[in-house]
Amino acid sequence: MRMILLIAVREYAENVKTKGFWAGILLFPIILMAVFFFQTLLSQSTPTRHYLLIDQSGLYAEAVEAGIRQEQQRRIFQEFVNYVVENRREANPEQTPAGANAQIEQMLDDAGTDEVAALDAWLENGGLEFALTLATPYLRENAPPFAAPREQFVPAPLPEGIDPQASPATIVEQLRPWLSGERLVEVNGERSPLFALILIPAEVNSTIQRPGVTPPGAILSASGMQYWARNLTDTRLSAAIERSINTTIRANEFTARNVDVQVVREVQRTRLPMSRLDPSKAEGEEAVSVADTFRQWAPVGFVYLMFISLMQSVQYLLSNTIEEKSNRIIEVLLASVTPLELMMGKLFGIGLSGITTIAAWLGTFFLFIAFYPGAQTELLGQFFQVLLSSDLIPWFVFYFLAGYALYAGIFLAIGSLCNTLKEAQSLMMPMMMVLIVPLVTMTFIAQDPNGPVARIMSWIPLFTPFTMMNRAAAEPPLLDVIGTTVVLLLSIALVLWLSGKIFRQGVLRTGQPPRIVEIIRMLRHKH
Amino acid sequence: MPENVLELNRVCKRYGSFTAVNDISFAIPAGSIYGFLGPNGAGKTTTLRMILDILKPDTGTISILGHTSALNVRQRIGYLPEEKGLYKKMKVWAIISYFATLKGMEKNAARLRAFELLEQYGLKDYADAKVESLSKGMGQKVQVLSAVAHRPELVILDEPFSGLDPVNQEVLEQLIRDMASAGQTVIFSTHIMQHAERLCDRMLLIAKGRKIFDGTLDDVHAIIPRRVILECAGDITSLLTSPGVIGAVERPHAEHARAEGTRLWVIQIEEHTNPQVLLQRCFEQGIALTRFDYTQPSLHDVFVHLVGSDAREHVLR
Repeated sequence: MRMILLIAVREYAENVKTKGFWAGILLFPIILMAVFFFQTLLSQSTPTRHYLLIDQSGLYAEAVEAGIRQEQQRRIFQEFVNYVVENRREANPEQTPAGANAQIEQMLDDAGTDEVAALDAWLENGGLEFALTLATPYLRENAPPFAAPREQFVPAPLPEGIDPQASPATIVEQLRPWLSGERLVEVNGERSPLFALILIPAEVNSTIQRPGVTPPGAILSASGMQYWARNLTDTRLSAAIERSINTTIRANEFTARNVDVQVVREVQRTRLPMSRLDPSKAEGEEAVSVADTFRQWAPVGFVYLMFISLMQSVQYLLSNTIEEKSNRIIEVLLASVTPLELMMGKLFGIGLSGITTIAAWLGTFFLFIAFYPGAQTELLGQFFQVLLSSDLIPWFVFYFLAGYALYAGIFLAIGSLCNTLKEAQSLMMPMMMVLIVPLVTMTFIAQDPNGPVARIMSWIPLFTPFTMMNRAAAEPPLLDVIGTTVVLLLSIALVLWLSGKIFRQGVLRTGQPPRIVEIIRMLRHKH
Repeated sequence: MPENVLELNRVCKRYGSFTAVNDISFAIPAGSIYGFLGPNGAGKTTTLRMILDILKPDTGTISILGHTSALNVRQRIGYLPEEKGLYKKMKVWAIISYFATLKGMEKNAARLRAFELLEQYGLKDYADAKVESLSKGMGQKVQVLSAVAHRPELVILDEPFSGLDPVNQEVLEQLIRDMASAGQTVIFSTHIMQHAERLCDRMLLIAKGRKIFDGTLDDVHAIIPRRVILECAGDITSLLTSPGVIGAVERPHAEHARAEGTRLWVIQIEEHTNPQVLLQRCFEQGIALTRFDYTQPSLHDVFVHLVGSDAREHVLR
C-alpha cells in the first residue's frame, strides 16, 4: 500500500508539473472568458457597415430604411435588457423582476414569438427613453449610464459618375471597384469600404412570387431585387431588408385584396400561450421553468465533461507507461515494486490529477459566475444552484471514477504492450471508436433517456458510465440503476484483473506489439 | 565461511524454441565481488532478470538472501538494468531519493542520502538539474547511485561500465570496492575483461546460455597454458622439442611486425616451466629474436579462448 501511495504521489506530482496539465486546466476558463467577454466585445466592436441603396422602382426605399432602423432598435433593445440585468439592485432580487422586468420580460417573450410586433410595441411605448424611465428605480445607485450601441448600418452616398437610372447590369458593372473593395466610399469625410449594394430595379414588382403562380422570370432575372456583398456570414442586413420589404409587400397585397392591414396586425399578434408542465413534480409546482429544462439537459454537459477528462487522463496514462517502457525505467521499478502496485499507483495518481482538473474547472466556473455578473452568468448561476441541489454531482463523481477505472485499465494494458506511441495508436483505434459512441448518442439519449437505445446501451459496461450519467436526471428504473452498477463494478474488477495480467507480461516485452493470439495467451497465463 | 547470498540451481529459460539460459548453477558468497562475463546474447541479462524474479525460470531453483523470490527481499537488493533510463523531467536528487523510498527508505533519510551520494561521487552541482539536461554518462552515474542509495545487501549491476569514460569507469570501480568493503555483495555483468580482472573475487563466464567457467581469477589463469611470444626470422621447429613446450601457433601480424621478414609465434608452455630454458635454446640454435615475451594470459585471452568461436559466430549471425 505504501508503494502504491509513493507511486501515485510521484505520478500526480509529475503530471501536475507538465505544461499539458496546466493548459488543460486553463483552457476551460479561457474559453469561458472568450464566450462571455469577447462576445460582447466583438459585438460592440463590429465595424460600421456602409451600404448603398439604389431604388429605381421608388417603392421600397422606405421599407429598406425601416428594416435597418428596426435592426438597430433590436440591438438597442437587447443591449438594454442586458444592461438592466447587470445593473439592477441586488438587495432584493425577488422584488425587482416582478416590477419593471415583468414588462421587459414580456417584451423578450414577444420578441421570441413575434419580433416585429414586439419591436412595434417597444417603439410605440417610446422605445429606449420610456424603457429607461421605467427601469431607473430598479437600477443600482452607481449604475453606469446606458450606452446605446452605435448605428451599425449607415447609408453611403452614390459614388460620382454612376447613373442611378442606368440598367442594373450597367450599375453593377460600374460599381464593381467599390464592391470588390478596390475603391472606397466617402462618408462624412471618412473613407471606408462599401459593405453592400441593394439594387431594386424599376420592374421589381414583376418578380413578386405568389402561391400557385409561376413567376414570369427566373429569380435571378435582371428585374429582380439584388443584394451584392462579399461578406457572406453577416446576414443581418440582408435579412432585415428582406423581412421589411416582405412586410411592405404583404401590406400592399392586403390592401389590394381589400383586407384591413390593421386587422391583420392584430390577428398576427393574437396568440395562445401554452404552459409546459411536468407531471413528476409536486402539485401546484408543475410549471416547467428554464431551470427544470436545464436540469434535464445538465447530464449532457456532465457526459461531455467526463469524456474530455477521461480522454485526457487515459492518454496521459498511456504515454506515461510507454515512456517508462521505452526508457526501461520499468525494470528498475519492477525490481522495487510488484506490477500490480505499479499499475494501481499509476491508476490512482493519474486519476487524482483528472479529478483535480475537473475540480479546477468547476471552481473557475463558480468563481466566474460569482464575480462576473451579467445576463448570461445570472442564468448560469441559477443553473449552478440547480446542479448543487440535484443529485447529479454524486452521480457524476461515481460514474467518472467508474469510467476512469474501466478505461484506464484497458489503456494501461495497451501501453504496456507498446514501445512507442506510434505502435500504441493502432491498438488504440478500436478503443477510440468505442469512446466516440457515447459522444455521438449523447443528445439522442438525453431526449429519450428511458427509451430502448438508452436502456440497451446502459447495460454495455463500456458505455454504462456515460449512458447512465446521461439518464441520471430522468429517474431511470431502479432495475437499470442497480443492475448496471453491479455489471459495471464486476466489469471493472474483471478488466483490472485481466489488464493486470497483460501489464505484468507486457511491461517487459520488447519488439513489435503482440498479435491477438499472443494477447489471448497472456490472458490465459497463470502466474 | 560466509553464507551464500545467491544460489542458482540448474536454471533454464526458453523463449519459444530458443533457449536463452541453459542449465546454469552457481553460488555467490556474501561480501564478494562477482563478475558475470559473456559475449553479447549469452544470457547474462536474462539470468539477472530471473535472479530478480522479473522473469520466471522454466525449470530450476533460485535462492536469494535465503528466499525463493527476490520480490520478498526486494528492499535488500539494488538493481541497475542493462538498458539505462530515468524519468527525464525529474530532478537528479529527487529521482535518487524516489527510488530509495520505493526501496523502503524513509523520505527525509532518502533525500539526505541522495545529496550525500551526489557529493561523494562528484555530481553535487547537478543535484537540482533535470535528468534530461545531463549527458549520457552522467545520467548513468545517477542511475547507479539511485540503484544503491538504500545500501542494499546485494547489488546487481547489468553492464554498469558501458557508456562511461575512463575517469568515470574508475569512479564506478571505486564505488564497487567501497560497497564490497562495507560488506555488500556486488554482482556485475560486463564484457570488458579489464574491469572484471581488476575487481572480481570470482567470476562466471557464460556463452549461448551455458555456463563455461565459474571460479576465481587464479582458476582462470590455470585454464589456458602460459605462453611465450616469439618474433623471429628463422625456423623454430627445433624449439618444439625443448622441455615443457606444448606446441606453437603462428599468428598473423602484418602491421605489427617489428622487423622485415619476421614471423610471430605463440609457444604454449606448461605451468612452472622456466622460460629461460627456451631462451637459451634460441641462442643455441642461432634463432635471431626480435621479440621474446613471457606473459601470463589475460582474462581477455581466456575469454577469447573459451568462447571465441561462439562469439564470432554470433557476430556473423
